[in-house]
Amino acid sequence: MSLAHRNDADRRRQEAKRARGRTFVAITFVPVVLALALVATLFADVITDTVSWQIVEPAYTTESWSFTEGFAFFSTWENVVEKELVARGEDPAVVLDDPEERRKFRLRNRVELLWQLDGAPLRYVVTSSRDDTVADYGFFEGLRQLDAIRAEAGEGQEVRLNPWLDAAFLTKNASRTPVMAGLGNALIGTLWVIGLVIVFSLPIGVGAAIYLEEYAPDNAVTRFIELNIRNLAGVPSVVYGILGLYAFVRVFEFGPTVLSAALTLSLLILPVVIIAAREAIKAVPPSLRQASYGLGATKWQTVSQVVLPNAITGITTGMILAVARAIGETAPLLLVGAAAFIPRAPEGPLSTYTVVPIQIYSWVAENDVEFAHVASAGILVLLAVLLVLYGAAFYLRRRFERSW
Amino acid sequence: MSQTVPEDHVTVRSDPVDANDAVVAIEDLSLWYGDFQALRDVSLTVPKNQVTALIGASGCGKSTLLRSVNRMNDLVPGVTVQGKIHYEGADLYDPVVDPVEVRRRIGMVFQKPNPFPKSVYENVAFGPRLHGFKGDMDAHVETSLKRAALWEEVQDKLQQSGLGLSGGQQQRLCIARAMATEPDVILMDEPTSALDPIATDRIEELIHEIKQDFTVIIVTHNMQQAGRVSDRTAFMHLGVLIEEGPTERIFTNPQHEMTERYISGRFG
Repeated sequence: MSLAHRNDADRRRQEAKRARGRTFVAITFVPVVLALALVATLFADVITDTVSWQIVEPAYTTESWSFTEGFAFFSTWENVVEKELVARGEDPAVVLDDPEERRKFRLRNRVELLWQLDGAPLRYVVTSSRDDTVADYGFFEGLRQLDAIRAEAGEGQEVRLNPWLDAAFLTKNASRTPVMAGLGNALIGTLWVIGLVIVFSLPIGVGAAIYLEEYAPDNAVTRFIELNIRNLAGVPSVVYGILGLYAFVRVFEFGPTVLSAALTLSLLILPVVIIAAREAIKAVPPSLRQASYGLGATKWQTVSQVVLPNAITGITTGMILAVARAIGETAPLLLVGAAAFIPRAPEGPLSTYTVVPIQIYSWVAENDVEFAHVASAGILVLLAVLLVLYGAAFYLRRRFERSW
Repeated sequence: MSQTVPEDHVTVRSDPVDANDAVVAIEDLSLWYGDFQALRDVSLTVPKNQVTALIGASGCGKSTLLRSVNRMNDLVPGVTVQGKIHYEGADLYDPVVDPVEVRRRIGMVFQKPNPFPKSVYENVAFGPRLHGFKGDMDAHVETSLKRAALWEEVQDKLQQSGLGLSGGQQQRLCIARAMATEPDVILMDEPTSALDPIATDRIEELIHEIKQDFTVIIVTHNMQQAGRVSDRTAFMHLGVLIEEGPTERIFTNPQHEMTERYISGRFG
């Protein structure tokens, strides 16, 4: 039979078929474009929100120093504060050498990299909690009305472009004053919680996966367990919060501590870890197991020396994705008692704590418009952490994927 | 085509193996996968330091028979076995026998080369390590690779991945790995079906050489190969051992009509 169209009617039918195909592709393409546009908008919004124009009336008439003048490895703070105090005509040794004075100064002042319109871009400035923010303009609004804003700034006031997200933001602690607020304790809290989550969920999750995949008999009980694990992966996280509140905070009396939070989040991600680990174990080719058994290996030798080493990449990838989920969880931790404001960083599993998403949540709930910038800076940090984790998972998958 | 085998078929045996030469003696072995009977009363004596080839059409049970000898079939769910396999005075299917120990003494090489994704060295050392080998591992690895005629090619890349070798080299690595646990018998399940003719040649040469130290049972689809490498040949059909005897006799003067038809390529 010839491949050419036999007649015109035949050709029209062919073309109509192709047109239908193109329409279908176009319809499926629309949501993809929409989704990409939304993600781009979200990022643009969050990023521009972390920068604002401010008219500030400094409590002290401050000097500023260029990046090369101010920056020093591990001691930028000391370096800039010393220059500032000299400029104020004070003796820097009084503040810097006395631990108590130093602590007080640190609570009230912050070394920031700011864009002062009068000076060069990005100069170090010592800001104070007593600095008075006269007005705050969003990034684009400020750009549009820059001249008006400059005219508005009166005597003793200056216009600054404040990038809320800078190095100091990562170390400063929660504060009632927006410029003094940072993620410090929340980051340490997240590290503690997530560290413990990994300690709890990795061995339990991988152990359960090994049992279900390699040892469990194929019977009704096993199938019931498998079904439940799949269902648990879809349970809303706030339900785990209620469970955690009852079990860990009340019954085990761990209270609103890092330990309760870590246990709750471990329960939350365990189904995901188990499913990912099982998939990774299942992906180890049977030929390798056979090779191992053929050499006289026992079941456990085969699992520990052949199956696990070859599943470890998949398990790690799954674990990273699960941890990324745990890092962003807010609802269950609100229930098990993460604090919005804690004066000091957690020191152990039984400390009170806060975590990054809770901290962001509390900033968003503040009235002060400046806290919106702080919240945006926090969101950006959270997104960056998640991006790094997803990137690591992607890299692992690409780098170590093997074809047998 | 597939031709049914009569219920009362008696295996045709020419020049039977002397019981004193036997390493493995299969006696009335029947095997079921669930309800499906894959082997029917197979009896076969395998002589020491010789190569025994199992031939037959796909699905005739030759691989199943091979895997029964080192109890690899135990790993398949739903397998039932009846009959005996005598090895060193014991029945391999006696409940007191540990299948793990059986597999150490009766090694296996698979259809597709399956080196571990580890270095060449670690592949060979894997078995000895499992069994608590004490001694000079470097020397042991070297000896095993030399016996598999692979040493010359890999001595400079012992620490590189076994997966980086060519298909034929990988299969010889698998043979070296099997030999490293010092087995008495090596089972080979179509060891050259995934290899090119030159690599196949080298494996066949190797099989010739290693039979001085090991007893080899090989399953093959390739009749010429059976003719080239084996001392004795057993022809199976639909789970039944139709005929067995010295390879030359089977190929030049088969006694059973089915064997004759298979050998001459008229079915299978």
